[in-house]
Amino acid sequence: MKYVDYVSGLNEWYQSQGFPPYRWSVFDSSPWASMKKPLTEATIALISSAGIFRDDQEPFDPWSVNDLSFREIPKETPLQRLKLHDNYFDHRDALKDLNCVFPLERLRELEEERYIGRLASPAITLGMGRLYKRTALQTETVPKIVEVLRKQDADAVLLVAA
Amino acid sequence: MMEQVKPPRSAFINFPLGHQCGRPHDRDLQMRILRDALKILSSASKPGEIVDLSYEWGEPFDWPGFMQDLMQMLEEEGSPVQEWKPKEK
Repeated sequence: MKYVDYVSGLNEWYQSQGFPPYRWSVFDSSPWASMKKPLTEATIALISSAGIFRDDQEPFDPWSVNDLSFREIPKETPLQRLKLHDNYFDHRDALKDLNCVFPLERLRELEEERYIGRLASPAITLGMGRLYKRTALQTETVPKIVEVLRKQDADAVLLVAA
Repeated sequence: MMEQVKPPRSAFINFPLGHQCGRPHDRDLQMRILRDALKILSSASKPGEIVDLSYEWGEPFDWPGFMQDLMQMLEEEGSPVQEWKPKEK
């Protein structure tokens, strides 16, 4: 089946609203670190950009623009306590089962059955929406996230982009 | 998008946006997708490698359908269409 060209679609949508063309991130190279241990011994961190937060945390704006904040979701959090505020995609199935975009329960099960060594805690969630402050994301938000990941001794990150 | 951003390793799944890890309440599918994605951590051999996961959604989906679903969702939920507007010049 053909792929949906979301980039062109979003470009047309935003420009029809009168916005200048969105400047998508383009990189010439890719950072690389090889896995130094097998999955069964590795600590895997989870990062999601689907606007997920715990019921006692500050909600994300479902139509976020330039939100550079993130939330920390302890890995044992029951999904019933989580909410999703993101109107940039059809989230109706994700509300039925958050694992569609935030596979916390599945990763807990993979940890239990020793497919992965450990699921890092907390998981990290963002709700950035449309972002016109890429430099601030890179110089302010990302270092804070990296700090959390280092404290967790994460070997790898599963990033589920929404 | 992944071709342009070049994360170190990527799994691509050709499902409609909002289903990156599978269909709701289909634990078996979600587990298989996650296992396949996590395997790439060790199997990928070059920076920026994208692995196409061979799952089929089973129904056609496209950009106009994405927008229709989005509008239908907003109507169902009584949510406003985005109010944020470009700055007046």
